[in-house]
Amino acid sequence: MNSKTMAVVKREYLTRVKKKGFVIGTLLLPLLLVMVFGGVFIFGRFFKPASKDLVVVDETGRIYTEFTRLLPDTLRSGEPMFRFQEYDLGKQDLAAVRSELNNKVMDKQIDAYLIIPQDVIDSRMVTFSSRNLTDYEEQEKLQRALSRVVSNLRLEDKGFPAEVIREEMNLGQVWLEGIQVTQKGEVKGSGIANYLLTYLLSYVLMLFIMVYGQMVTRSVIEEKSQRITETIISSIKPIELMLGKLVGICLVGITQLLVIVGFIYAFTVYGDDLLAKAGVQVPELLNIIQNLRFTPVVFVFFLLFFLMGYLLYAVLFAAIGAMVNTDDEGQQFLAPVVILNILSFFIMFSVAKNPDTPSALWASLFPFFTPVVMFSRIAASAPALPSGAIISLFTTAAAIYLLLLVTAKIYRVGILMYGKKPSLKEAWKWLKY
Amino acid sequence: MKIVEAQDICKQFGQLRAVDNISFSLEAGQVHGMLGPNGAGKTTTIRMLMNIIIPDSGKISLFGQKNSANQNHRIGYLPEERGIYRKMRVNDVLLFLGELKGMKGKKAQAAIDGLLERLELMEWKRKKVEELSKGMQQKLQMIATVMSEPELMILDEPFLGLDPINTNLIKELILEQKKKGNTIIFSTHEMDNAERLCDTILLIDHGQKILDGQIGEVKKQFGSRSIQLSYTGKPDFLQNSQVIEKFDDFGNYVELELKPGADPQEFLQSIVREVRINRFELMEPSLNDIFISSVQRHRQGEENHE
Repeated sequence: MNSKTMAVVKREYLTRVKKKGFVIGTLLLPLLLVMVFGGVFIFGRFFKPASKDLVVVDETGRIYTEFTRLLPDTLRSGEPMFRFQEYDLGKQDLAAVRSELNNKVMDKQIDAYLIIPQDVIDSRMVTFSSRNLTDYEEQEKLQRALSRVVSNLRLEDKGFPAEVIREEMNLGQVWLEGIQVTQKGEVKGSGIANYLLTYLLSYVLMLFIMVYGQMVTRSVIEEKSQRITETIISSIKPIELMLGKLVGICLVGITQLLVIVGFIYAFTVYGDDLLAKAGVQVPELLNIIQNLRFTPVVFVFFLLFFLMGYLLYAVLFAAIGAMVNTDDEGQQFLAPVVILNILSFFIMFSVAKNPDTPSALWASLFPFFTPVVMFSRIAASAPALPSGAIISLFTTAAAIYLLLLVTAKIYRVGILMYGKKPSLKEAWKWLKY
Repeated sequence: MKIVEAQDICKQFGQLRAVDNISFSLEAGQVHGMLGPNGAGKTTTIRMLMNIIIPDSGKISLFGQKNSANQNHRIGYLPEERGIYRKMRVNDVLLFLGELKGMKGKKAQAAIDGLLERLELMEWKRKKVEELSKGMQQKLQMIATVMSEPELMILDEPFLGLDPINTNLIKELILEQKKKGNTIIFSTHEMDNAERLCDTILLIDHGQKILDGQIGEVKKQFGSRSIQLSYTGKPDFLQNSQVIEKFDDFGNYVELELKPGADPQEFLQSIVREVRINRFELMEPSLNDIFISSVQRHRQGEENHE
């Protein structure tokens, strides 16, 4: 890189980093990210606070007490998760009781009811009636408790003493401990933390590629619309100007990333002490962030893929900037490129869950998807590397190079074209200049 | 040494022949004026010199070399489309543009300070460009062009929109660069400035070269045939002379034009026998006259041609 290009790099970098908006934005962004992802958790809390009124019709008369004893779960507010009421069936007709309870459900006097039939020990079938059945976690909880009670009763009926059963059942409780098998041996894993890390970082990656890519477009349009290009171009070749711009803005992005990652890192190390000194209780979410395995490998790939993703998209963004005269005109050309980037984010969702499938591999090798999708595979499989990780660096680099050859020509002609916005056909003609 | 040579350059935009087969060569160390009415093709020619647009045909060489892109650091360019980063501070913009020309550190700052002082912009040094008036922005851009003291300066309409005081400041800058041995090319349609500054002129109209050459030569070519004459005696000779093309009698004096090829000296000898001469002056036409008459003649020629 020659000294002229360096001068452009310096200008593009300093004019942006010195802006108040950049300083404020950089400091606020980590907070914003925590809010976006914390929001998911916090919303979950807001929407799940109410206790449920659950009527239990126990035709056997043997199940209710033990069943409710097994479900002492409370909500975060301290309220019980379920408020059980036993329905005294007496001599009433079951059908009549059903319609009475149905009415209560519809009138929202109760949330749901269970009918445990006389022969439940043999039929093993209980009905659960509710206004909606979307909360499958809740139904699983009920099902688990009922299964336990019925199993116990069956054992009791076979002659085992109730206390022995209860004790054995508790002792027989099994926990799954997640261990990830990698080339570096076994690693203890926390599913949720790893998941969150993958999403969070992939999101940041996509966001940064888009924000900084579009910054390139705006920078090119600024020079065009303010008629600066001709002055500059008398001192520097278009390709040098373009490279200087790409690198300068890239460094701004990396600066911001390092600050943010530094924050996250500092938090995982010193966060506890700080919060303890401040007398703040550590919320669960922050605990999870502290458990993130932001390993050096993940970090290096994060920077590498930001670099490559940014360059890949930015050369396109630069060409778009050169083709138009105003930000508004740029929008319609930008849209397909932005959608391509967002698409990679959606693909990431399914790939991060199953990073080892062939389709995940192929999706992550398509250059425009590679940065976000391949990174998500790397983060999900960390500390091991998924297949194709190293290859993807080369394929992306090749794609950047090829794209640069094409866009540099469009850029060279476009930056000096004022007035009419060119059609794609004309842009094609520029390639042959 | 020829610093700029253009050979049969042509440029067409759609139906318009913006530059039509123009050739010229410019000597180093002089001030060259490119003259022509609006839309004559001056800016297109300049842009081709700057390698911003490529001629459809013809050859251009700067400093005796074909590819001018590699000569950029030796050229200072003031484009017609002026623009400068509006959000940057005056000093930062100049440092940046200086760096693009290879100027750095204290040397660059010293050059900037000197020029800001001379062009009366010192108090604006730390202000943002957008706070400057249009005239000030133009001076700022002139500083950017001159600061590296390039061997060749190409200025597209450097006086456009400037008041007489600022016009003078820019003229001084141009002449100073000439004294240092640098070459200046500028375009204008104001003949006054051209007449005072230029060593040579290149007159363009409708994309075609009408005339070019050293300004003295051009004037001689046009002016040797115009004469102001004041005499005592009979005016018969005006009618009788074979060499007079036309004349205007203003009473106190006569303005007359000789036929092409006629020698004013011989004409003078022939009339001293008939009348008493009080004043005999060979008129130099102003550049303005040359400009107007040659553009008109050229356009008539074009029409006849069609």
